[in-house]
Amino acid sequence: MLAFIVRRVIAAFGILLAGTFIAYVLVALSGDPLAQLRQSNEPGIEDRIANMTERLDLDTPVPLRYLKWLGGAAQCVVPFVGTCDLGQSVRGQDVSALLADAMVATLQLITVATVTAVIIGVLVGIVTALRQYTRLDYSATFASFVFVSLPIFWFAVLLKQYIAIDLNDWLADPTVSLPAAAIVGVISGLIWGSIVGGDRRRVLTSFAVAFVATGGALLLLSASGWFRSPGLGPVVVGVVGVAAAVGLTAVVAGFRYRNVLYAALATAGAGIVANLAFDPLLTDPTWGTLFLLLLLAVAVAVGIGYAIGGLQRRQAISTSVWVAVIMAFTITADRMLTAWDNYYEFVGGRVVATFGARTPNYDGGTWGNLLDTVTHLALPTLALMLVSLATYSRYTRASMLEVMNQDYVRTARSKGLTDRTVIVRHALRNGLIPVTTLVAFDLAGLIGGAVITETVFGWQGMGFMFVEALRNTDPNPAMAFFLVTGIVAVLFNMLADIAYAYLDPRIRLG
Amino acid sequence: MTKPSSDDPFVDHRSMGAAGSDPLDVGAAEPTEQVKSATQAHVGHLGRSAVGGEELLRVDDLSVEFPTDDGVVHAVRGVSYALHAGEVLGIVGESGSGKSVSSMAVMGLLPRSARISGDVSFRGEDVLSMPPAVQRSLRGRKIAMIFQDPMTAMNPVHTVGDQLAEAVLSHELMPRKKALARAEEALGMVGIPQPKTRLRNYPHEFSGGMRQRAMIAMAIINDPDVIIADEPTTALDVTVQAQILEKLVEVKDAIGAAIVLITHDLGVVAGMTHRVLVMYAGRAVEVGETDDIFYRTRMPYTAGLLGSIPSLDSDDDGRLRPIHGTPPSLIHLPAGCPFSPRCPLATDLCRQTEPELFDTDVTGHVAACHHWRRLAEADDPTTFFRSESEAS
Amino acid sequence: MSTPDQQRPGAGDEDQGIAVVARTQGQLVRRRFFRHRLAMISLVVFVAILVLSFSSTGIGPIPGWWKHDYTTIGTVVDGGRPTLSVVPGFLGGDGIHLGEHPFGQDNKGIDYFALTMRGTQISLMIAFIVGGLGSFIGVLIGAAAGFFRGWTETILMRFTDVIIIMPLLAIVAVIANQAGNAGPFWLAVVIALFTWTGLARIVRGEFLSLREKEFVEAARAAGTPAWRIIRKHILPNTLGVILVSATLSLAGAVILETALSFLGFGVKPPDTSLGRLVSVYQGAFVTRPWLFIWPGVFIVAIALTVNFIGDGLRDAFDPRQNKVRS
Ligand SMILES: Nc1ncnc2c1ncn2[C@@H]1O[C@H](COP(=O)(O)OP(=O)(O)OP(=O)(O)O)[C@@H](O)[C@H]1O
Ligand code: SF4
Ligand SMILES: [Mg+2]
Repeated sequence: MLAFIVRRVIAAFGILLAGTFIAYVLVALSGDPLAQLRQSNEPGIEDRIANMTERLDLDTPVPLRYLKWLGGAAQCVVPFVGTCDLGQSVRGQDVSALLADAMVATLQLITVATVTAVIIGVLVGIVTALRQYTRLDYSATFASFVFVSLPIFWFAVLLKQYIAIDLNDWLADPTVSLPAAAIVGVISGLIWGSIVGGDRRRVLTSFAVAFVATGGALLLLSASGWFRSPGLGPVVVGVVGVAAAVGLTAVVAGFRYRNVLYAALATAGAGIVANLAFDPLLTDPTWGTLFLLLLLAVAVAVGIGYAIGGLQRRQAISTSVWVAVIMAFTITADRMLTAWDNYYEFVGGRVVATFGARTPNYDGGTWGNLLDTVTHLALPTLALMLVSLATYSRYTRASMLEVMNQDYVRTARSKGLTDRTVIVRHALRNGLIPVTTLVAFDLAGLIGGAVITETVFGWQGMGFMFVEALRNTDPNPAMAFFLVTGIVAVLFNMLADIAYAYLDPRIRLG
Repeated sequence: MTKPSSDDPFVDHRSMGAAGSDPLDVGAAEPTEQVKSATQAHVGHLGRSAVGGEELLRVDDLSVEFPTDDGVVHAVRGVSYALHAGEVLGIVGESGSGKSVSSMAVMGLLPRSARISGDVSFRGEDVLSMPPAVQRSLRGRKIAMIFQDPMTAMNPVHTVGDQLAEAVLSHELMPRKKALARAEEALGMVGIPQPKTRLRNYPHEFSGGMRQRAMIAMAIINDPDVIIADEPTTALDVTVQAQILEKLVEVKDAIGAAIVLITHDLGVVAGMTHRVLVMYAGRAVEVGETDDIFYRTRMPYTAGLLGSIPSLDSDDDGRLRPIHGTPPSLIHLPAGCPFSPRCPLATDLCRQTEPELFDTDVTGHVAACHHWRRLAEADDPTTFFRSESEAS
Repeated sequence: MSTPDQQRPGAGDEDQGIAVVARTQGQLVRRRFFRHRLAMISLVVFVAILVLSFSSTGIGPIPGWWKHDYTTIGTVVDGGRPTLSVVPGFLGGDGIHLGEHPFGQDNKGIDYFALTMRGTQISLMIAFIVGGLGSFIGVLIGAAAGFFRGWTETILMRFTDVIIIMPLLAIVAVIANQAGNAGPFWLAVVIALFTWTGLARIVRGEFLSLREKEFVEAARAAGTPAWRIIRKHILPNTLGVILVSATLSLAGAVILETALSFLGFGVKPPDTSLGRLVSVYQGAFVTRPWLFIWPGVFIVAIALTVNFIGDGLRDAFDPRQNKVRS
């Protein structure tokens, strides 16, 4: 395994060197940074040209310049040296400083979009594979084809117009009309009916339940003015916790033996109590406090799972931990929404933002700022997510179908395992191995893909920086972009290989 | 419906065509001396004595169809058999004749698209109409299955021990340690050395023969009443095949299970089974006691199969006489007897009406052939295939 | 997808055997494809778009049948609103007619249908070149790597790795920024130079597994030259994969080109493409949404239909639902 990793790392370095070299040459040849200056005949232009030539090292031949640049760039990669020299931009800014800010912004965008896309995409893929050739499967397939075919720049502008502006208009007077509630209810009913499956009666029952629950909830929330001032409150937090406990138990262990359920419910109970007990601490916490609280929650969950799990200790622990994490997120959302009214006032009701990463001059404490970030992230994330979601759902579906046809799945069923165990332990465990590697590959590509999203939404990340640099024939920031994407690409390709080897014992041990 | 145990497992298959009466229930007749002695002579060397305990598994007019893009595949068409405690029933037939599909239907392992009709009962209880949870609890605990290809039948990402223990844990909650101990015991039973360390291995670290042993261990780990072995040795080399089969018989005797043994290999059938069911194009075309199938063949297809195996003790020149042509399409079956395009005895009658399973001159031996009498008259039925093959 | 018939003894000489297989398999594939309803509809729509865009504004010196030109500046009628109407009169609409400017006019009074058609034409042309040339390079490199193994493979695959780590859009943007000035053709060539990597990897994989197959070993043992083995024995068996991938890359190329042009690094004026139209008129979205909507609709229509055609081809070549186990 170690030799494998070492070999991989060496290869990765070679590829990175070659890649940056090619990129450097191409960037250098892509335009003359002095072109504009040369055309002007202002006084003193000679000086400025000389100055720029000096600053960008334009007199050095390109291969040599690359080596110099590499020398500076190498320092960024070596840890703890702290000096990082990626050259200067045409305007004389230090590129490494520019890059640091841009990277944070991009990272924020990509992480959230990828995590949600992967979670939803994989779930959709699994469900459609298990419900192959149903209406749900066909609809999801069709939708994913549409999303793959959408040019993101066009789609993003539509989102801006129809989601942001219309949603903000609606938020000014948020009421759900009866027909609207009915339509959403029907959609929810159709989806749940297909997901639950089974015979006609079961489908109809789940349709009815989902229809009434969704439509009713919308009307109720609307009538109580919830959309005007949304929040969750301890009751909803509790309900979510219990629902998570029951749902996760159903997926992870089933209800034949109850230990797992009891552990999960106990964790949910602990969460409810903690939410109330830590109230003062949660009013305006620092991120450090929140992180510690999350660790505490996980630790408690492990303890509960260990204590109550009995013969199903492993399953009990993992279920409890997931319940704890879900509750932590719910409580965070609950607290974040406490800042809603204040924020709503500040932005004059235009809650969903269409430009930039934060509202200028707004400081609403931890929760308010979080809400501000969320509202700014919403649209670009949605755009990026929808476009990459389809890849994951299609890939997961294909992979799951492939695995479900394998002999060992048949063997597992012949042993008398429950469908749940067959799916979770045999099909998922194998089917998601290629998905893991795909995600790793894709992460690197996503930074490149974010170029357009960032441009459309004025998100000042690396993509934005790159496009600006290219427009201004500014080689160093463009190269910084290629350096980062290159490093991320080789790193994640390597991680993908290692993850594959780790997940598949045939490679790990063979 | 629990049947009283019968001494005679052989006669259940008589006369599928007998209108009105339940064809499976005719079989209370006394077996002839001849049949009995033949049975004993045959299984004697396996170290087992009389068979014929209580009826465990009964398959009645089982049909399976698969709708596909190209049409409906009639994979199994009205197959019936019964299996009694301690018995080994062989199912033979060419590739694609429906052997696997019929057993998978018994196990409830067919894909959802399959259309299944007929009855399957285990100890008198109808399996197909059971609630899924009850059906599942039979699977692997009462009826276990061993699959054809040991290379792909085990999950590559879990250890052998985990996969064995899982079979126990899915029917009974117990500490993992205990389940692993059971797994170790089962691996020991099938002759895997150092079972304790082997538990921690992944399937790819096992050789083919060892994997198939592990599969047998997985099948017997819950002491099932019935083991369905679907070509358990085809993927293995010859020397290993013999060991595996020996092991299979050994553990079957140890736990007192009955076996349905699916195979291409007539040699295996001759050495191991008490009764044989020959399948062709989704149907049972000849059913009888093993010796009768071999020495009193009443169906040309069986005769063809027998003629196509190399035999050492045959009285002629020892030539192989393969059946020419290919099995019919299961989507567009030919009219009449499905074997008629390949059958040297085929007449117009054969091409018009499909023969039912007729009683023959041998008790408890049924054959789906209009002209079974001609085979009964012949000394060596395989010679019917001779002229054709020897001419070419 | 091994073809058992190939090994059947007595199937005649090798070429004949292959020919038989190719035909029967080809028929199967065609039948399955035509049964894929979405793919069929998509094929019809795609061909319609193709014919419409090339015939309406003409190709090169050949004039099209559409009355307006995509460069002629005219007077803006009715704020440039589209005159296309599809709601029949008895449903309370204006009846079904095209009108003078079915897609409306831009702010300079240029007929927007003509402009959109011209953009579609350029975008399609680029997509075809990228799909064709990119696939050709991919097959070439993948085949060489997979067949010859050894150093050839190492070098080619490392080279592929190097290309893959650069974000496609960005690296193409860098070059296209210049190439765009040389016209859409060169832009397409540049894009093709970077889009072959995926197919190269796939083809290499196919070759690696096929070269171990008995019929290839037999041919090699018989002293058949390499190129002949590749052409006669291996390529026909990878045709499905290549065709599917080439089709899908066509859709990818449309999206990529339009994205580049949107950012301003692709097709440059005086030429136009669907992406450039979206980019130029995105500011007009609030006042004249049709200027933004039409080119987008055509991009989606092209990409969607091509993707469906690719899916239909994939199903036709690799029909999982028909795969039968023994
Ligand atoms: N899921 C399915 N869909 C369509 N046809 C199927 C399916 N499963 C099996 N069949 C068809 O049913 C027929 C019987 O197959 P089966 O696997 O029972 O044959 P077999 O006798 O076990 O052959 P072998 O000796 O090769 O294992 C075959 O023609 C096969 O093509
Ligand atoms: S019925 Fe006729 S065709 Fe069929 S096996 Fe008997 S003799 Fe042959
Ligand atoms: Mg089989």
